[in-house]
Amino acid sequence: MDSKTYKTSETVDFIVVGSGSSGGIVARELARAGMSVIVMEQGPRMEPWDFEHDELKYRQLSGITNNPRTNPQTFRRDASQKAVQPSGRNPLTYARIVGGSSAHFNANFWRLHEIDFIEGSRLGGIEGASLVDWPITYAELEPYYTMVEWEVGVSGLAGASPFDPWRSKPYPMPPLPVKSSGVLFERGGRKLGLHPFPAPMAINSVIYKERPPCAQCGLCGGFGCEVKAKSSSVWTVIPEAEATGNCEVRSESYVYRIGMNAAGRATGVHYFDKDRKEQFQNARAVVVCANGAETPKLLLNSATSAFPDGLANSSGKVGRYLMFNKGGGAQARFEHPLNEYKGANVTRIIHDWYDSDPKRGFYGGGGFDARSGGPLTWGQNVPEGTPTWGPGFKEYLESYTYWMNCSGHGTSLAQETNRVDIDPEMKDDWGVPSIRVTYKDHPDDMKHAKWQVERAVEIMDAAGAKQIVPGEIGAASGGVHLLGTCRMGNDPSTSVIDKYHRTHDVKNLFLCDGSSMVTSGRGQPTQTIEALAFRAGDYIARFAKANQI
Amino acid sequence: MEDQTPSRRQFLAAVGNLASAAWITMNWPQIAFAAEQADHSAHGGHGAAPDAPAKLTTLTAAEAAEIDAITNQIVPGGATPGARDIRVLYFIDNALGSFFAAQLPSFRQGLAEFQNGYAKKSAAGAPFSAAPEAQQIAFLHEVDETPFFQAVRRLTVLGITSMPKYGGNRDGLGTKLLGVIDSHYWEPPFGYYDKDYAGFEPYPGTKIQTA
Repeated sequence: MDSKTYKTSETVDFIVVGSGSSGGIVARELARAGMSVIVMEQGPRMEPWDFEHDELKYRQLSGITNNPRTNPQTFRRDASQKAVQPSGRNPLTYARIVGGSSAHFNANFWRLHEIDFIEGSRLGGIEGASLVDWPITYAELEPYYTMVEWEVGVSGLAGASPFDPWRSKPYPMPPLPVKSSGVLFERGGRKLGLHPFPAPMAINSVIYKERPPCAQCGLCGGFGCEVKAKSSSVWTVIPEAEATGNCEVRSESYVYRIGMNAAGRATGVHYFDKDRKEQFQNARAVVVCANGAETPKLLLNSATSAFPDGLANSSGKVGRYLMFNKGGGAQARFEHPLNEYKGANVTRIIHDWYDSDPKRGFYGGGGFDARSGGPLTWGQNVPEGTPTWGPGFKEYLESYTYWMNCSGHGTSLAQETNRVDIDPEMKDDWGVPSIRVTYKDHPDDMKHAKWQVERAVEIMDAAGAKQIVPGEIGAASGGVHLLGTCRMGNDPSTSVIDKYHRTHDVKNLFLCDGSSMVTSGRGQPTQTIEALAFRAGDYIARFAKANQI
Repeated sequence: MEDQTPSRRQFLAAVGNLASAAWITMNWPQIAFAAEQADHSAHGGHGAAPDAPAKLTTLTAAEAAEIDAITNQIVPGGATPGARDIRVLYFIDNALGSFFAAQLPSFRQGLAEFQNGYAKKSAAGAPFSAAPEAQQIAFLHEVDETPFFQAVRRLTVLGITSMPKYGGNRDGLGTKLLGVIDSHYWEPPFGYYDKDYAGFEPYPGTKIQTA
C-alpha cells in the first residue's frame, strides 16, 4: 500500500520529529485518532534485507548511527574546559534510520518499579544531585506499560521475579529460549540466594502480530533485525500508523529549527530534505521525539528574539540533567563452549539489588544480566596478563566461545551541570551547530558501578567460572541511553514539560523521548520511553479533539 | 513459496514480509532450513565473494610485505590458520584505501618509523619481512607498545573477524578460528550448558502469570 504523502504547503495537524521508540508510537496514536501526521526522520528507511551481520559496519564504522565525521559532537568534563571532538564515535550515540534506536537496540524491556517515581521524597537530597519525584506515578503509567507489551510485542514470564512491580496483564508471549550464559548466570545467582529470572525482551518468541519468532541469529545490539522479530518501531507501529492513511514518514529529512510565529506558537519545522535543500513544513502542532540528545539540540538551535535561550527554555533546564546508565560487570570464561554468538543477547536477569540501599553508604541500584558480545568487538581487547599478540593471543582468540558477560546496569544521578548544549564553533555537514556535551559522573555513580563489579564477580564465581575478568570502571565519556535533558515536572521554573509532555512555554509544542525522564531508572529505559509515548499520544489526541492545542 | 534455493533477500522477505501469520506457522521449519541454505550460499560470503578485494590497491608491494610479516606474528599460522592464511593483509589494504583512508598517511609514517627502527637494529640491511622469525619476534617485543603496532594489531583483529567482502576472513577462516559457525538461524541448545536445562523453577511466594 502506498502511504499518504503531504505537500509542504499543506498544514498538517502534527509533525512528529523522530521515528524511533517514542516517535513511531506517538505518530500511530495520533494517526489512529484521525489526525494528519508527518514523521520527520533524519536517516534513511531500510528494509530487512538491507541489514547484514556486519559487525564492522554497524559497531565500528557508524553504519546506521550518527557519524562523527558528518555529525560531530564535542565533549568536556566541566564548564571550565574547552570542549573538543573525541576520537572514535560520538559521545552521544543513536541510530539515524527510520525506527531510530529501536531499530538497533538490544531489546531489554524492563519496567521501572514504583520506587523509581518517588525516590526524591523517599531518599531525600543527595549532595550535588537533583533527585526529585516524577510528576506521575507507576500506577499512572502501568496501563501504558501493558500497552507496550501487547501492542509492540514483548516476551517474558510475568510473576517470575519477586521484585517486579504489580502488573495488570501477563506478557503476550513466553520468554525466549535460555542460552548457556543464562543457565550459568541462573546457577550462580541461585547459589548465592538471588532470584534470576527470564529476561523480558522486545523480541518475538512466537509468531506475534504477523511477525515471525526470533531466528536466534545472535546479533541484536547495534544491528537491525533481518527477520522483523525484534519489536522495532520500523516493523511495528510505523506501518500501523501508515496503514491509517493519515501518516507520512518522511525519511532523510533533517529538522534543524522549529518555526515560530509572533504569538509564540509553533508553525511547523524547517528541515533539509534528502538533497540537502532547505524546506519548511506547516503544521498545527509539533511533537519532538528526537531522543535525549537531538531534542534539546533542536530546541536550543530554535532560539528566536522572543525565546533567546532556545525554545521552551524559560526554566534554563533544556539540555540539563543529562543521564546515562552507569554500571559495572565482569567477563568470565568457562570450561565448555557457551557459543554466545547464537541467540538473543540476553536471556536471564537479576533484580535483587534494584533498590538503593542506604546501608551500602551511597545512592544507587540496578540489575544484572547475562549477555553476549560480537566477536569483532570482543577481540579488540584482552584480559590483563594475556599476550596481545603471538601464539598466546591466538589461543585467546580461539577461546571466544567459552566466554560470557555478567553486566550490571544501574542508576545515574541527575546533575544540573551535566548537559547538552550547543558548541560555539563546531557545525555538522549541513551547517547546523553541533552538540556540546558536558559530563562528569556523580561520586555515588562511580561507587555503585564498582560495587556492581564486585557482585558480578561473585555471581560468575558461584557459577563455576574458570577465569573472571572484573570490569574496569572509568569516567563516563558518553552513552547510548540519553536521558533527562528536558525533564518533566509540575513546576515551570524547574522543568521543561508538564506531565502530559506539553512544553510549559509553547502551547502547541510537545516533547516525548528519553529527555522526558526525571530519573535514570536502572539501565534499560526503552520500555519506559515507549510507555510514556503511548500515554503522551493518548493525551495529545484528547487535547486536539477538545481544541486545547 | 519462494524458490527452493532462495537468495538471502528472498529468504528475508519470506520471513519478514509475508502478511499471513498462518503461512509462517505452517512453513516455519522450511523457512528455518532455507535460512541456513541462503546464508551459506549468499550471506556468509564464503569463498571468493564477488565484491571481495582480489588484489592489493593501496599498499605498495614492499609495504605489503612488511605488513603481512607483522600480522603473521600477531596471529601466527600453524595447526590452525593464522593472519596470513586468513588474508588479513587484503583487509588492511582495502581498509586503508576506503573507510580508514584518513589514517593512511599516519599509518605510512608509522611504517617508515618501524622500518627505520628495524634497520638500525639489523646490520644486514634487509627489510623486517626478510628477517628470520626469531629476529622478527624479538624486534616486535621492542615496539609492541607503539601506536603503529597497535594499529596493525587492531586491523589484524578486524581482518580476522569482519565479513569476507572487506578482504579478510578468507573462506570464513577467521571466524572459524574463533569457533564461530556462520549461520543466519539457530535453535536451542546453543551451547554446552543449556543442553540439559530443566526449565525455570518459580520461587516460593511468586505466582507465574501466562497469557
